[in-house]
This record gives sequence, structure tokens and C-alpha cells, in this order.
Amino acid sequence: MIELRHVTKKFGSFTAVDDLSLIIPDGEFFGFLGPNGAGKTTTIKMMAGLFSPTSGEIILSGFNTATQPIEAKMTVAYIPDQPFLYDKLTGREFMYFVGGLFKMRKKEIREKVDELIEHFEIGDWVDKRTEDYSQGMRQRTTIAAALIHEPKVMIIDEPMVGLDPKSAKIVRETLKQKSREGIVVFMSTHSLPVAEELCDRIGIINHGRLAFVGTRSDLAAYKQKFDGKFESVFLELTK
Amino acid sequence: MLLHILKYKFLSFFKTTFDPRMVTAIRGIGSLLVFGGFGLVAYVGSYEMTRFIMEQTRIGLFLYHRFISMMLFVFFMAVNMGNIIVSYATLYKSAEVNFLFTKPVTFTQIFILKFLDNFLYSSSTLFLVAFMVLFGYGSYFGYPWYTFLGVLVGVLVPFMFLSACLAVLVLMSVMKVASRWGFRKVMVVIGSSYAAFVFLFFRFTNPIKLVNRVSMYYPNVDQYLVQFDPGFLKFLPNNWVADFLFFFAKGEPAMAMPFAALLLLVTAGMFVLCLFVAHRFYYRSWLVTFEVQASSNSVEAGRRIKRFDFRKESILPPQIESLLKKEYFTFFREPSQWIHLLLMAVLVVIFVLSVRNLNLGVRVTNIQAMTYLVLYAFGVFLSCSLALRFVFPSLSLEGTAFWSQRSSPLNLNKVYFLKFLIALALVMGLALLIAVASNIPFVALTERRPLLMYFGLFSAVWVSLSLVALNLGFGGYFSNFQEKNPIRIASSQGATLTFLLSLVYLITLVVIISVPLFRYFESLFLFLPFDFKIIVVPGTIFGMISAAVTGISVFIGMRSLQRDF
Repeated sequence: MIELRHVTKKFGSFTAVDDLSLIIPDGEFFGFLGPNGAGKTTTIKMMAGLFSPTSGEIILSGFNTATQPIEAKMTVAYIPDQPFLYDKLTGREFMYFVGGLFKMRKKEIREKVDELIEHFEIGDWVDKRTEDYSQGMRQRTTIAAALIHEPKVMIIDEPMVGLDPKSAKIVRETLKQKSREGIVVFMSTHSLPVAEELCDRIGIINHGRLAFVGTRSDLAAYKQKFDGKFESVFLELTK
Repeated sequence: MLLHILKYKFLSFFKTTFDPRMVTAIRGIGSLLVFGGFGLVAYVGSYEMTRFIMEQTRIGLFLYHRFISMMLFVFFMAVNMGNIIVSYATLYKSAEVNFLFTKPVTFTQIFILKFLDNFLYSSSTLFLVAFMVLFGYGSYFGYPWYTFLGVLVGVLVPFMFLSACLAVLVLMSVMKVASRWGFRKVMVVIGSSYAAFVFLFFRFTNPIKLVNRVSMYYPNVDQYLVQFDPGFLKFLPNNWVADFLFFFAKGEPAMAMPFAALLLLVTAGMFVLCLFVAHRFYYRSWLVTFEVQASSNSVEAGRRIKRFDFRKESILPPQIESLLKKEYFTFFREPSQWIHLLLMAVLVVIFVLSVRNLNLGVRVTNIQAMTYLVLYAFGVFLSCSLALRFVFPSLSLEGTAFWSQRSSPLNLNKVYFLKFLIALALVMGLALLIAVASNIPFVALTERRPLLMYFGLFSAVWVSLSLVALNLGFGGYFSNFQEKNPIRIASSQGATLTFLLSLVYLITLVVIISVPLFRYFESLFLFLPFDFKIIVVPGTIFGMISAAVTGISVFIGMRSLQRDF
């Protein structure tokens, strides 16, 4: 479960996230939408432990990220918006590296890496240095590495950027499968069709505040107030 | 086009440098104070050294300027080797070059831009130091105020520029040949050639022989005794600069001018040659980097399990093992890292071999104490340089991929201390080696008394701890995760500030140990009893200052890891 309690993040006088509260139960696929600069990535970075909130609390799988950061991170898979990797390591080495950081035994890592290489179809280039990878290759490697430790919570920032249609399909199906297995998926995206297709519930953030939270049926009802298109709802809420 | 790009580069530079935010202003004032202080120390040091040499040792103008020539030779080689390594990153690996190649800008214009960028960026601190040293030196000889700027712009800057031009020519040749012979092989050949050149220079200039020959002319040692110079010396730019300074100091500027003119002419010629070579080969050699990268990549393409492979079982805890292996691969797969380490190791070996067989001769307190202090300071200076180059960039080099550690269940103190221990092993290993080697000549002199050797080891341990802490801590405080080039990180403003702090620490140590050292040699040579209590207070102050530097730096470094990423 993910719980955000009155979370605020300020950078100097600028408030990027303003008193955000959310509860996302296990097994829910939550879509987080908003225009550029609305506070999506800041929220995600706070959840992943890269930013510390100015005020408020974040609880992941029952662990407070401020007071029990190690326990909280142990349960999380974070996939950043930019899939930065260590240029001098190969994709396989990066996956082993991440497995080690999650304190996995070598045998477990080996089995999981082989399974993920096959699942994401990255075997052809996984033993090359990542400095030669395209954006899509990096993205697939990052997602594969994030899943290595069987997380309970997945926090994903723009997962489809740079992926070719086949890779995007693999990623979409993987995320849906993980959600069906009971994992909480928190996904930020700019793609309205992807959000509509995958998410059980959608939140729209604007100027650091939640402008809309609702299930797909809530959204469908809301759409009828406009021209029946999600795009119109989005544009109206983020005006 | 060139001016258009330069305009935006300057705009970007000024906006970053003169950022109106409070934090930047405080940092700027701090930097100004440290730079100003260091400039003052360089000025006073240069003035006092010149006064001491001219009035106390009375070695004469000619010999003094021959020593300056030797120092300039080392300086020229250091700038040259530094530029080869930095230029590789700026001319061939920079994202800006990739961007400019897609725009209607000629290859020669890109070359000029990156060459100037590289030269100005990596030499700005050297300009300050060179100017203040020149100021101190010139003040002693009573130069008029306007000549300082003239000598800096007309002689020292062209001298450094010449070194940089030569470096770029060597680099482009290396890139051209590397496609046939392989990068590593060519770099080993170049490295060996440089080491051989330095060795031969000192072998043929033979400073001791020169001192003996010039001494025969005493007291007429201010003459231009050029007949004692080996023939090849007149072709070296360091000698032109030294001869220029010699005649200027002698009050014969008309005799000095031809040397400056020769230097300017050769520098201009070398730059034109650089442009010609760049026009023909820069783009082609840039393409070679992809071939070199592709060939080095094939090494990892194999699926067999090798030494230090991530797949190998380990007795270490998984997190430590992962971090260690990541450090190992990211270091040894980056040519600018291991080549630079190799070069510095060669420098240390040359120092150790030269010092080991030093014949100290006379039992005069002042001379031996000064010799010890100079050797000690040089040894610590080597450690300072090593720490700056390899420890300071360590945290920044985690780069944008650091998210993988920051978001994992890893106590960041573990990351910090692992980096600390790896750096400590490297710096302390070399510091102990230097300490032992530089104390060997004093073993016979002190009739095998162990005190100096013990002090050397005690000092090596404390100095290594402090320097590693200082560089890692401030490297974290000034971290720049966007910069991939370790040399640019090690020559950034934060790095320069850290280096100056290291030098302040070094000077403090030299001051602390000087009194007991003089007393010790005095007691030894005059057969007086030595009161060991004399070393207790300085030893305690030494330890306390080092412990404070270590503690404060570790605190700053660890706090920096808690910042938002």
C-alpha cells in the first residue's frame, strides 16, 4: 500500500507539491497525470527517496520513508523518467549490481536475471556496455533491473518514453500482470490513452495540488460533462 | 559563427558564475578569500625564496634561472600531459561536440572552440599561481608594475599555450594511429616516451655538475654562462622563458626580447600547425573514437565469467560486493582514469628512485633541515595532487545513475565509507612509499636513528586520512552529477578551492614540524642532547589539526549525500 499524508515539497519559495494526500491499496494500478511542471516527478522522487518532503509523511508497504527508509525501499521498485545507467557496465552487470543492493543471494539474482532477460527480450545486447544502448534499450534494462527483487510497490515515471511498439506492449503487459499479482503500481504518464487503458484509478495534479482523483467509471461519468473525451477533461482540469 | 557560439558560451559562463542566489554568493566570497589568500602566499613565498636564494645562498643569477628552467620544464610537461588527457574528453567525448557536428559549423571551428574551452578552463588557476609567483619574483628584482602583466600575457601564457598545442597534436596523432595499433598500445608507447624524455632531460642537464661548474666562477656567478648548457637546451621553450627572465632580472631587456619573440613565433606557428592538422584530421580522428569504443566493447560482449565478474560468488556481503565491483569496472573501463593513474604512478616511482639515492653530504643543520622540509613538502604535494585527481571526483562520477543507489535499500554511509576506504588504500599506500623513500637518505645521516622514519610514517598516515577526507567531503559538497569527465570535475572551481585548502594544510604542517626538525638536526650535528618533549606539542597539534580536518570533511561529505538528488 502507498499512503501520502499531507505531503508538501518546497524549493525555496516555490511550492512544487502542495499538501498532497492519497491512499493506494495493494493491487491497484494508479495513474498519475498532469501537465509539465505540475509536480508529478517531484512526488515520485519523494516516494523513491531521492527528495525529502518539506512536510508530511509517505508510507510505503507500512514503512515510513523518513523513519524507516531502508525497510520502505526494500519493498519498492523505482523506474525513473530518464533511464540513466552506469555507462561502463553492461546491462547484465547493472542487473546484478541492483540485485546486490537489494541484498539478494547470487543464485537468486542469476535465476531472476535470466528470467527477466528472456521476458524483456534483451538477450542480444545485454552483455554490451550500456553506453552503446539506445533510449529504448536503456528503458527496458532499467525496468528489468527494477523487477529483480520482487517488489510490493512499483513507482514508475513515464515508462513508455522511447520504447518501440513491441517493447511498449511488453512493458504494458508486465505492469498489468504485476498489478493482478497484488502489487501497487503508481505510474506517472503523459499518455492519456495509456492511463485509460491500464489504470484502475487516475489522479490529475496541477500546480502541486490534486485536481481530480477517481476510478475509471468516475472518469467516464465526468467525461460526459464535456464532449466525452478524456483529453477535454484533462485540459479543463489543468487550465 | 565562431563569435556567435562564443557569445553564448560567455553568457552561460557569466550567468553561472554571477548567480545572484545567496548560496552562490557565499560560495563565491569563500572562494575569493581562499584564492586571495593563496595568491598572497604564492607572492610572499616567491619573493622570499628569491631573496633567500639571491642573498643567503648566493648561487648567482645564472644558476637560479637554470633551476627556474628545470621547474618550467616540469611545468611544461605537466601542462602537456594534463592537456592530452583533458583534450581527449573535450575534443572527442563531449556531448557539445556531438551537438555541434550536427550544425552548420566547420570542424576547424569546433576544434578551435573546444581547444580554447579546454585551455582556459583547465589553466585558469595556473594563471593565477603563475602571475602571483611572477609578481613575487619580479618585485624582488624591482620590475616596473606594468611589466608583470606584459610578461604574463607575452611570455607565460604563450608558454602554456604552446604546451597545450603540442598536447593536442600528440593526441590527434594518437587517435590516428590508435585505429591501427589499438588505443592501449599507443598510450603505453606515448607514456614511456614521455617518461624517457623527462629522464634524459635531467640526465643531460645534470644539475649537480652544473652547480660545480658555475661555482668555479664565484663570485662572478651572475654572468650568462651559456657554455655550460648542453646543446639541445637552446631548442626547449622552458629555456627561452628562463633566459628571458634572466636578462630581464639582469636589467638588460633588449637582450631578453629575442627570447620572447622566438617563443611567440613558435607558439603562433604551432597553433597554425594545429589548425592545419585539425582541418585535415579532426573529424576523421573523431570517428576513430567510435571504432576504439566498439573494439573495447567487444571485451564485455563475451559471456564467459571473468575475474571480478558480477556473476562470481563472493564472501563479501552482497551490497559491499556490488559496490566494490561497480567501482572496479567503472574505473578500469575508463581510459582517462587508469592512464592518468599510471602516469601519476610513474611520477611517484621517478620521485622515489631519485630520492632514495640522494647523497646528502654536509652535516649542516640549516641545509639538512631545509632539504628534509622540501622533500617532505614535495611528498605531501604529490599526495594532494593524487587525492584531488582521483578522490575529489569520486562522488560526482556516480553521475546521473546514482539514482539506482539512492532509491535502493542502502545506507548511504556505507557508500561513503567504502569510497573513503578505497581512496585511503590508494593514497596511504603511495604516501607510505614516498615517506619511506624520502627518509632513506637521512638514515645514514642520522646514524640510523629511527625518529625521522617514525615521523614520516606517522605523518603519512595522518596526511592520507586528512587529504582523503578533505577531497571526498568537498567532492561531495561540490558534486556535479551531470559532468562525466573526471578531469573537468578535478579542475572545477570547487576542486581548485579544495586543492588550495589542501595546500594550506600542507603549509601548516611544514610550519609545525620546522622548529623541532631544526632542533633535532642541531642536536645531531652539534652533539647536543635532544629533548624529546620538543616533539610532543607539535606532534599533538599536528594530530589535532589533521583529526579536525578529517572530522569536519567527513561531516560535510556525509551531509552532502542527504541532499535532494
